[in-house]
Amino acid sequence: MLVIALCKGRFLEPSLELLAGAGIRFSEDVASSRKLIFESQDKSHRVFLVKPADVPTYVEYGAADIGIAGRDVLLETRADVLQPLDLNFGHCKIVVAGPAGGNGIFPPTIRIATKYPHITMDYHTARGIPVEIIPLSGSIELAPLIGLADRIVDVVETGRTLKENGLEVLEVIAESSARLLINRAGYQTKREEVRGLIQALEKAVS
Amino acid sequence: MKSYTQTPPGTQILIGRAARRRRALERAICSVFEGWSYEEIIPPIFDYYDVFAKGWGQEEQIYRFIDREGNILALRPEFTSLLAKTVATRLASSPKPIRLYYSGEVLRFEQPKGGRQREFAQIGIEHYGGAGKRADVEILLVAVETLQRLGIQSFQINLGSVDFFGGIVDRMELPKEQIDALKEVLNIKDQPGLETLLQTLPLEDRRKNILRAVPHLTGGRPVIEEARSLVKNPRSVEALNHLEEIYSIFEKLDLAQHLTIDLGEIRGFDYYTGILFRAYVRGLGFEVAGGGRYDGLPAAFGEDVPAVGFSFSLDRLEQIVTPTLDSADVEIATVEIDSDFDKALQLRKAGKAVKLCW
Repeated sequence: MLVIALCKGRFLEPSLELLAGAGIRFSEDVASSRKLIFESQDKSHRVFLVKPADVPTYVEYGAADIGIAGRDVLLETRADVLQPLDLNFGHCKIVVAGPAGGNGIFPPTIRIATKYPHITMDYHTARGIPVEIIPLSGSIELAPLIGLADRIVDVVETGRTLKENGLEVLEVIAESSARLLINRAGYQTKREEVRGLIQALEKAVS
Repeated sequence: MKSYTQTPPGTQILIGRAARRRRALERAICSVFEGWSYEEIIPPIFDYYDVFAKGWGQEEQIYRFIDREGNILALRPEFTSLLAKTVATRLASSPKPIRLYYSGEVLRFEQPKGGRQREFAQIGIEHYGGAGKRADVEILLVAVETLQRLGIQSFQINLGSVDFFGGIVDRMELPKEQIDALKEVLNIKDQPGLETLLQTLPLEDRRKNILRAVPHLTGGRPVIEEARSLVKNPRSVEALNHLEEIYSIFEKLDLAQHLTIDLGEIRGFDYYTGILFRAYVRGLGFEVAGGGRYDGLPAAFGEDVPAVGFSFSLDRLEQIVTPTLDSADVEIATVEIDSDFDKALQLRKAGKAVKLCW
């Protein structure tokens, strides 16, 4: 039996649709149930739901053989997992944003508010720009407006939230979308099942 | 809370049952190594920093310090550099092959992961002086027997070669940064990442298609045939011949079910020069062993000797149920305290375990 970790929240529905496309269906309504673990109708797969940021960890440790999560989360957790497929939903950009029409002068150390401290640090370290990271867990756009930070690093889909808060994209760090994650050991020890699922999902995506 | 009440991050203490289990595991593995005529070597726990910087390479993970004379020293982050140096110096005139095994703690500054701490226990073998497939097969068989001895039924050894991928990129004449970028996406079988990267590389379609195939070249014998249809360069072809010979021997020994050819497996320390392998156990998310060939390493210390070896992670093996090791406790005689300890000494002379009651 393969164990699959899925994100709660906005990724859940497209993830379940893809699994259904690959022939993995559930008798219960996974999205509305309060349960956290579900077995597929043919008992060949078990799915559980966790916070998006935790999916790579479950897969890296082998608690799940397979997971579906955004590339942003993967880059942030730096989990060592296989990532063979782009699942073609949840498209967004990881960006550096700041007040619109800024004067271009920035302090010797830029204060950046973010949910992505590792991505922020890696990006600026590679460019030799000193930053102070202000870790926040939500409403990141608020930070520059009230003087907590000079800039933010966050994901944007349409850019509307930024605009409404008087911010603009300054630099794009990376593109993100949903990825299939696979535990390295499971890829070897459950090879037939895992590769079968990759192929089925690849078909379902295209 | 005072910080000294806790052990530093990445260290741990094994007590009682956990320590007994560690030693039982260690003894079981050593007996397999000794059964294949590997001799124990007990190297120092620290050596000159240059030994590891030159041999192992991962400089940012080495714990280093300066002694009172100003020498830069390092706590051993692995055994292979130490052994290669010893073989190239102290043992330079010894008859070959030289078979050595070691067991002990190594220290690396890295994030604790998968049950492995910053100080963790490695146990492994190294074979010096055997260049061809025979030495490769020998150490693979020792690895297989070790897992079997521990009562582990379901395991896979994932076998690749640095020369297959090396031969492919040799021909492409790419700068090092681009080869590193390629390795990075291939290491995680990142297809979309590979496509993005290929768009920027000045390569003909035929070569791009070879790179596209690499992550999928994993499985049994058919994989070798598929790979043959893709590459013509001598280095890659030689690597395929070599892997096929090893695979054939495993088939004859009825062990091929434990061997997976994985030509997409190109992770590993820079010192690897030929075969490269990792062992996985069903139900554990991390590899339990890794190894390969490192022919250039002894030469870095002055003596050109072919070398191949592997190490097991004891910390990870401990996470697997190993039924053969859960032995019954020794029967202990409980002795009421007698003023002259007479009874206790008599029991000890008779070879009995005693426990004095206070």
